[in-house]
Amino acid sequence: MTTMSAGIDLAFKSLAPRASDWAAILPELGVAALSLFALLQAMVVPARLRWLIPATARAGLVLVAVMAVTGDGGVVRPADEALFGGLLRHNLPMAGVRLVFLSSALLTSLMAGRFLAARGAGLADYHHVLLVVTAAFMLLVQSDHFVPFFVSLETAAVGLYVLVGYLRRSEASLEAGVKFLVAGGLSSAFLLMGMVLVYGTLGGPGAGDSLSFPAIARALAAGKGTVLTLAGAAMIVGGAAFKLGAFPFHSWIPDVYQGAPTPTTAYLATASKAAGALSLLLLVTGPFAPLAAKVAPALAGLALLTLLAGNLAALATADIKRALALSGVSHAGFLLAAITAAVARTDAEAFSYPAENVVVLYLLAYVAGTFLTLHSLSAVPAREDHERPFISLRGLIRRSPAATAGLCFGVGSLAGVPPSVGFVTKLLVLALLVKAGLWWVLGAALVGVAISIHYYFGILREAVSRPGEDREDAAPLEVGAVSRFIIGALSLSTLAAGVLILL
Amino acid sequence: MAALPAQLLQAVVATPVATGLLLIAGRRLPRALGDWIALAGFVLPAALAPWLLLTWTDLSIPPEAFRSGGPWGFGLSLNGFSAPLLAMTSIVGLAAGIKAMTQDVEARHAYLGLLLFMLGGTLGVFATDHVVGFYFFHEFALIPTFILTLFWGGEGRRPAAMQMAIYLTVGAMASLAGILLAVDAAGLDWAGATFEGVADALLAKGAPRAAGALTLFGLGTLASLFPFHSWAASGYSAAPTPAAMLHAGALKKFGLYGLALLGLTSLRVTEGALGGWLLWLALGNTVLIGLVCLTQVDLKRLVSWSSVAHMGPVFLGLWVAGARGSASGLDAAVLLMTAHGLSCAALFLLSNDVRVRAGSYRFEEMGGLASRAPVLAAMFVAASMASLGLPGFGNFWGEIGVFLSLRAEPLWIQALAASTVVITAVYTLRAVAAAFFGPESAALARRAEAAPFGDIGWTSRLAAGLLLAALVAVGFMPSLVTDSTNRVSADVVKYARPAAKTPSAR
Repeated sequence: MTTMSAGIDLAFKSLAPRASDWAAILPELGVAALSLFALLQAMVVPARLRWLIPATARAGLVLVAVMAVTGDGGVVRPADEALFGGLLRHNLPMAGVRLVFLSSALLTSLMAGRFLAARGAGLADYHHVLLVVTAAFMLLVQSDHFVPFFVSLETAAVGLYVLVGYLRRSEASLEAGVKFLVAGGLSSAFLLMGMVLVYGTLGGPGAGDSLSFPAIARALAAGKGTVLTLAGAAMIVGGAAFKLGAFPFHSWIPDVYQGAPTPTTAYLATASKAAGALSLLLLVTGPFAPLAAKVAPALAGLALLTLLAGNLAALATADIKRALALSGVSHAGFLLAAITAAVARTDAEAFSYPAENVVVLYLLAYVAGTFLTLHSLSAVPAREDHERPFISLRGLIRRSPAATAGLCFGVGSLAGVPPSVGFVTKLLVLALLVKAGLWWVLGAALVGVAISIHYYFGILREAVSRPGEDREDAAPLEVGAVSRFIIGALSLSTLAAGVLILL
Repeated sequence: MAALPAQLLQAVVATPVATGLLLIAGRRLPRALGDWIALAGFVLPAALAPWLLLTWTDLSIPPEAFRSGGPWGFGLSLNGFSAPLLAMTSIVGLAAGIKAMTQDVEARHAYLGLLLFMLGGTLGVFATDHVVGFYFFHEFALIPTFILTLFWGGEGRRPAAMQMAIYLTVGAMASLAGILLAVDAAGLDWAGATFEGVADALLAKGAPRAAGALTLFGLGTLASLFPFHSWAASGYSAAPTPAAMLHAGALKKFGLYGLALLGLTSLRVTEGALGGWLLWLALGNTVLIGLVCLTQVDLKRLVSWSSVAHMGPVFLGLWVAGARGSASGLDAAVLLMTAHGLSCAALFLLSNDVRVRAGSYRFEEMGGLASRAPVLAAMFVAASMASLGLPGFGNFWGEIGVFLSLRAEPLWIQALAASTVVITAVYTLRAVAAAFFGPESAALARRAEAAPFGDIGWTSRLAAGLLLAALVAVGFMPSLVTDSTNRVSADVVKYARPAAKTPSAR
């Protein structure tokens, strides 16, 4: 009896968080605190000071981002060892990973301010949920154990359901919310079933904690896996691929992206996709690394199909939000390709960037390009948020040169036109594929880029073409100073970042 | 002293980009100030690049003097092929700039700024010997080309720009894949991936054939190799004249230049079956596109198509250099690239002057222009003569050089290659006759009555005069170009056929 309680005591001691554990997740704690602070402000701040709520959230996010990037290794403890008794571990380059999520949240907030105010929707709740989701995503990608993995994934998912259906008076938003809920529920079920199978087949007396990533990797390396373990791993990978929006789990993407309020669309396209990509990377190079011989061909096939499916489907649409949603699928394909390279050849690197850094850089470039495009688009008034045909951009160059320039830089970066950062990161992925010898995927990526020119260029063509003389609604558009600043800063970053990466 | 040429080379590339940036950022600058800024961006490269060509050819200055580190890790440098092309580009750029500044267009500063970007990118292509760097500059120059076509272009600009974007992206992606494969096979790091570095590394082991095929067809598309040419004519026709001059004259030479320095050396695209393909497709350019030219009824489209047809002899020159080890064929090909850039730009420039007077590019609405605009007629005839390869102009030495290097080939190849001279003569002389001579068309007479017009002004004379003067200079002193190309073509041929003991010097 005493020995057993002593054992439990020992187990608890090893699990009890140390101060240094908390220091390693300071940025996540900061974001969570900001989230609570937004709610608190909503209760006490008088109506005419409501602008404080988004303002503090944005200032806080900037501060956290500065801390995450500059303090990584200093104030924020780097963790190459297990945190919280093996629940978390920093397996990815955390400074860049955190920057992906923090910048997505910040830029979403900057978009949401005017958007929600114009539609009479509350700002405080939106920011609260947005920040909770962001903190959850940031924890997700540090998971080293399936319990924090699933808990943070579900926390984020529930928050995203709210953000998608946020415009309660808009049918499109509500419809998108329901679709997302159903599709998301299905993927969570898959994920959970997969975890159960892995746990069940690898667990047993003396097996240790078979929800922990290193323990799973050890068991698989020791050849303990069965067919059911493989099925479980496939389900888990499928669940992550759903978040990423990879073929064949991408069918929810166009409808949900189109119907969701545009700031949420932007957040889904960036942070949620990043979470999918990074957690997939974490899984296939962590617990399932011993299965590389089986996982790599499967991922390569998925990457190839995702690249083709996303681009081909985007060809057939004339709505900007839908086209960008489907182009996001093709970007998922690029991310999958990089992840495949990381699995197929563990030492694969492109221009001395290891594969996981390439994934993070690709994500950062994608965040900049997506937000730049959507920020520029939001300068163009639309009767309904979910209806933005290509043709509505006609003559934009005369109406607002600033928005057109932003659109050119944003779409150009997404399309991968040199010298933008989008080109450089695509080049890195292509170089990885060359190193890993994944020729078919390389071919699909190049074909995909060529196809994508049709729709990306289709958007730009409407905006840049000299309009006919009979256009009536060619009145100049007012683009606010803040929007101009954001568009300018992001445009500059798409140019400068490419150079910085190659330096 | 040694550092000076490198800095001048940097200035050649950086000036147009910097002035272009100024113009685009300063949309509200006064018009006169903007014009002066633009003029500086166009004139400075044209003053420096030809001088650099002469300096480069001067053997007492080592080639290393032109090399400089760069912010992207691909530094700038010159080689024997790029020096004449750089000089040609700068002259075409100046002529295009003069033309653009005489046009009355909406958003003038943006127009000039984008044109300067295009010029800067094109100059950059020929100012670096890094295999990814030259690709990078090419894409950099294409973006303004699209915007110029879409906003300032003429009839049919939307479909033409879309077609051009798709073709050029597919071509660029294929060639990028080929380049990356080659760099990977060579096992080089980023900084070492120069034309020479890759060629040296692959000399013994050879490159993957896939890389050769991708590069041949990719760069071929960009240089309008038959049958991947169909974007070119409509793209040039729809583009505003200065953009068409720069694109057809200078930027398109990117593909040929890449084939010469990367395709022949590292990837050996003329070996085996690929070489056979190149020969047949080049003959397609010469003969079939030549026949297409015969059917044109629109002056600008004719000039566009003929610039596609004239790529045929250049491809043949590249082929004979790689497949037969003929260094003189390669010299002739580069000479022809240089001369064609000048003559093609002159034809686009003067065609626009014809259009301004006739109100249309259609032959049926012209006729008898020579009596009203004799200087225009004289200059157009001169540019046409250059284009069909008459002695006295640079094109002559290029074409004759290619034909001579083919003299050991079967007769039918020689006959098909030389047929370009006949076909070109037919359509060029017909165009000249239709536009300038014979009775005046009714449409032209009506226009002249409604708004009398005279000859071309001094700006057009200056722009066209520059191009023609350069053509005549090369025509009388081909050594201006060949002294430079001689220094590398023998080396290139050695790389192209490492098995051959001694490259014959035919």
